[in-house]
Amino acid sequence: MKYILMMNTMKLGVDPFPGWSKEDIHNMIKYMIDFNKKLKAAGELLSAEGLSFPEQAKLVRAGKNGEPITDGVFPESKEFLAGYWIVDVATPERAYEIAATASAAPGLRGEPLNIPIEVRPVPSGPPPEIM
Amino acid sequence: MKYMLMMNAMTTGDRYAGVTGWQKEAVQVHIAFLKSLTKSLRESGELVTTEGLAVPDQARIVRAGKDGAVMTDGVFPESKEFLAGYWIVDVTTPERAYEIAAKASAAPGPDGSPLNMPIEVRQIGGPPPEFL
Repeated sequence: MKYILMMNTMKLGVDPFPGWSKEDIHNMIKYMIDFNKKLKAAGELLSAEGLSFPEQAKLVRAGKNGEPITDGVFPESKEFLAGYWIVDVATPERAYEIAATASAAPGLRGEPLNIPIEVRPVPSGPPPEIM
Repeated sequence: MKYMLMMNAMTTGDRYAGVTGWQKEAVQVHIAFLKSLTKSLRESGELVTTEGLAVPDQARIVRAGKDGAVMTDGVFPESKEFLAGYWIVDVTTPERAYEIAAKASAAPGPDGSPLNMPIEVRQIGGPPPEFL
């Protein structure tokens, strides 16, 4: 079963690393790189991406003639996706376990962040009952 | 440059991917439109990957507790927008990514007219180098 693990942890205009030292940031990134390596070695990782900061995000709509209108405004409360993993695992519990490992990435002074990770199944197509 | 195009179209309680309550034919036309967009992106060599996600009632929030214990919770704020699906495209300019997003935005709605739904466009790539 495929699951997506999402870190919806970024906000517009909010420093993603408040008060962190350069070393703290390095440690967090190293933790994530090691984590990805382990998932890959276990054959569980299908893909993983990190996204650019929300300041570079655009909200795009089609205009009258289908032309892109790029001046959309995000709601102030919006939590932006910072990155995600797609894993292929046998049970949802294993997906939650992997998510908890990501959640415990080190933050300020190496303390576990325990950030919320949204976990959702990724089906192979739309639900048959609506097709 | 790789860009992620996100449809944040689902809300809590949405039984289907933003199409709850639509006539079956309208859903089929909508999905056929998105499939043909995906096909054209694949043919132009711009598609890196695309996924559709399960509905919000299958979503869980997971955190590590003390000692790394797995803590799961299924309660989300009512205002939360859920990702319904995304495309990752590899294009030479941001404008081309916006153009593709506008095409997805114009997918037909319950009455067959363009939804003009908002599509979030973000470049793929981690923190800026000054953080690393």
